[in-house]
Amino acid sequence: MKKIKISTTINSKKYYLDINPNVTLLDLLRDELGLTGTKRGCEIGECGACTVLINGEAVNSCLVLAPQIDGKELLTVEGLMAEGKLHPLQQSFMDHDAVQCGFCTPGMLMSSKALLDENPNPAEEEIRTAISGNLCRCTGYVQIVEAIGKVNK
Amino acid sequence: MKPFEYISTKSINEATQVLSEYKQDARVLAGGTDVLIELRRPHAKIPKAILDISYIESLNGISESDGLIILKPLSTHTQILKSDLVRKYAQLLGIAASQIGAPQIRNRGTVGGNVMNAATCADTVPPLIALDAEITLRSNGGSRTMKLVDFFIKPYKTKAESDDVLIEITFPKLPSNAQSAFIKLGRRNALSISRLSVAAILMQDKKGLISEARIVPGAALPTWMRVKEAEEMLIGEKPSLKLFTAAGQKVSEVMISYTGRRWSTEYKEPVIGVLVRRALEGCVKD
Ligand SMILES: Cc1cc2nc3c(=O)[nH]c(=O)nc-3n(C[C@H](O)[C@H](O)[C@H](O)COP(=O)(O)OP(=O)(O)OC[C@H]3O[C@@H](n4cnc5c(N)ncnc54)[C@H](O)[C@@H]3O)c2cc1C
Ligand code: FES
Ligand code: FES
Repeated sequence: MKKIKISTTINSKKYYLDINPNVTLLDLLRDELGLTGTKRGCEIGECGACTVLINGEAVNSCLVLAPQIDGKELLTVEGLMAEGKLHPLQQSFMDHDAVQCGFCTPGMLMSSKALLDENPNPAEEEIRTAISGNLCRCTGYVQIVEAIGKVNK
Repeated sequence: MKPFEYISTKSINEATQVLSEYKQDARVLAGGTDVLIELRRPHAKIPKAILDISYIESLNGISESDGLIILKPLSTHTQILKSDLVRKYAQLLGIAASQIGAPQIRNRGTVGGNVMNAATCADTVPPLIALDAEITLRSNGGSRTMKLVDFFIKPYKTKAESDDVLIEITFPKLPSNAQSAFIKLGRRNALSISRLSVAAILMQDKKGLISEARIVPGAALPTWMRVKEAEEMLIGEKPSLKLFTAAGQKVSEVMISYTGRRWSTEYKEPVIGVLVRRALEGCVKD
């Protein structure tokens, strides 16, 4: 199988990669690049644990073929912190007890980051829509919705 | 995933060239929300090559020309639901797009993939058929255009050949006296792959009488079609609950005449009737 050359930006860092085409973006991030903050859940697009941003849009990395990130700009949960400080969303999740086991958290953060970038003061309904593709088996969502709603308040 | 060759192209001609060489051995990849799941199934048939068309810019975008809306196949559900043209001239399509999957799926999934995959539950198909959409397929041999309603043979089976690329979907803008609705019932709210759905368009004349009606159920009939028997009942009439209820009953009858009575009929029969009624009511709200 022929390897594919791609160039991509992940968390503001430029990568030039030679990759096997038959892997998903999720595999590439976790197994090749060591970016294991992005979680592997259902791998069929249902749970959202693998959510990352491609050109600012939330997508399930388990449903993206790795070569499809050529020329794109990605953000994963590892890219949220800046200058040693937590992103306001991360801080808000902690302040509002929106994390229990934490497995859904990276995906939740990425979906809500995409939302807040587009709409800094979303209504509760808009928050719920934005995270409708992210399952949480622990919190019951209330704290998560609250945490997202309070970030810019 | 088992190994395959990955080919990406920025040109339609190159894409059809590759497909004419590989025929059944190549698989087109757009957003991948259907293809990736299929490739990872335990006994999946892995193609020799995956042809990624997602970088072909001329296959993306929503525009208007001469009273037509031109919907390029790589337009994502998110692009559709945010489009002013769709909101203005094809409201029901925007409603359907906004209810597909979750944001992650809508950001990635394309209308072309939805149509070409031809799943029973493809949510953009009933609205597009109600809008009287035409599609254009291109292969090395040239282009052909057909009505979308004639494109489907049965769920997951279309008239597309293995070397066809869907390059365009077009439909006439709805006039200002038209109102439209799309309703679906899923098993679960957010990610539900829809079961029953109904797309409806009504036009009223100056006296408020119905001058045109289009009703297209999803996942109810052996393939997608307008239910003319129910549409005809509405023409020349004034909208009313009674009329819409009767039209809903007619759609149930037509459904049963095609599918016969089976285990799911007890549920589907009343439900499709109610969905039709609600969709029609959605078309007369001011
Ligand atoms: C969790 C989840 C939820 C979903 N929910 C819904 C839902 O609510 N409603 C719904 O309708 N769908 C739903 N889907 C299905 C899917 O997201 C849609 O059908 C989507 O529109 C497919 O588009 P795509 O670009 O991802 O297709 P792809 O997976 O890239 O392609 C799908 C098929 O179309 C072919 N193809 C794509 N583009 C072209 C082209 N231009 N020319 C020729 N062939 C082409 C491919 O070869 C393939 O056979 C869901 C999927 C998932 C994983
Ligand atoms: S792992 Fe991708 S959606 Fe569940
Ligand atoms: S905190 Fe455990 S799944 Fe959400």
